[in-house]
Amino acid sequence: MYEPRDAEIKNEPAEIGALLKRIQEGDREAFMTIIRLYQQKVFVMAYSILRDREDALDAVQETFLRLYQKAGLYKPGNSFQGWLLQMAKNISIDSYRKHQIKRREWVTTKPLDEIPIAAEDRAGDSAASDLRSAFARSVEKLAERQKMVFVMRHYNELQFNEISEAMRISVGTAKSLHFKAVQNLRKRLAPALGIEP
Amino acid sequence: MTEHLDKCPECRAEADEVERLLKETDAVRSEIRAAVASVNWEALPAVIADRAFAATGKPERILPAVRPWAWLSALRMKPVLAGLAAGLIVGAAAMYFALKTPGPRPGKDTGYHASGEFLDRAELEMARRNTLDYLEKSQFVLLDVFESAGDVAAGPAALRSERARDLLSRKKYLNAQLERFQMAKAKAICDQIEMLFLELSQISDELPAAELQRIRGFVEERQLLLKINLVRKELESEI
Repeated sequence: MYEPRDAEIKNEPAEIGALLKRIQEGDREAFMTIIRLYQQKVFVMAYSILRDREDALDAVQETFLRLYQKAGLYKPGNSFQGWLLQMAKNISIDSYRKHQIKRREWVTTKPLDEIPIAAEDRAGDSAASDLRSAFARSVEKLAERQKMVFVMRHYNELQFNEISEAMRISVGTAKSLHFKAVQNLRKRLAPALGIEP
Repeated sequence: MTEHLDKCPECRAEADEVERLLKETDAVRSEIRAAVASVNWEALPAVIADRAFAATGKPERILPAVRPWAWLSALRMKPVLAGLAAGLIVGAAAMYFALKTPGPRPGKDTGYHASGEFLDRAELEMARRNTLDYLEKSQFVLLDVFESAGDVAAGPAALRSERARDLLSRKKYLNAQLERFQMAKAKAICDQIEMLFLELSQISDELPAAELQRIRGFVEERQLLLKINLVRKELESEI
């Protein structure tokens, strides 16, 4: 899907502590190195939640700005990627909520003929995209923790141990939430998929 | 699990449904892939870094090339720090040479110091006490001679000889003190006693009683015991 430089990241943890220390000392190059290593992972996390390129890029910037401020809070030995993605997730969810409120306000205050209804439900006309649209809506309606696990597992393509680190839950809980998410999606999409609920 | 799915048609059907369901995520993944591809990832780190440094106002640190003398450039950039470091180095060097120099150091030598006059007085005092002690012991030996005159018991004779030899050796040490502090009276009496002790130390068990009688006569004639008493009293009054 993208090139997150997984091999590079897996080889990095030993150096992460040193890079973060240099960031605390105001080392720009160290900061840019961390950004280069993790920017795409963070973007995918943000985009999975926000589903908007610009909003996701804002969330990426916000995540790294927060990392710059809180680099000293990272505890060596823990998963840096998990810690960073947790920040990205929280920032993205906050952003999503703010945008949702703004969208509602915007929709309710605008005259009906000024609201781009077609744009809200992308490609909702074609039969092929009906299922995709229904699927996206069903994911949106999942309970938050189920949704996060599902998004991280299938959109970010994280392993369950990485999800558990990012969400600060056990691997077992992550798997359980994923199972519930899949079951709920199955129920909701049964008619569209032509299966028994 | 694969074995179970092969044997259980219900579970197989459910697994197929889930697989179909999850295939729908492919579309989202395609969307994400497209979004990722649209971003200029090379430029983004610099943009974020600019924002971060501008927002916090933290001065960014340019890492110098790794050279052995690289730390000197840091000192050049910070004159106060460089001055402080130079002061510390000079101070440490001065302290090192000051402590390394041999000779008496203030506060280091804990030995006892006293004036020469005080030491002379102390030694005079010691000489008086030693003389007093010598005369006292000599008096005992001479009294013993008086009491045993005519007695030929072997034991006391040997003991007297032993005591006389001991006092003779002490007299050698005492001579230097008596001369140094010009204790003339004491020296005179001590010299006379020494002569007697020389004879006593040579007395053997077979020494005739006449010899002892002669020594006793000498003591009486010179009034040695009396003189000893007088000198002792004089010394005791000076102590």
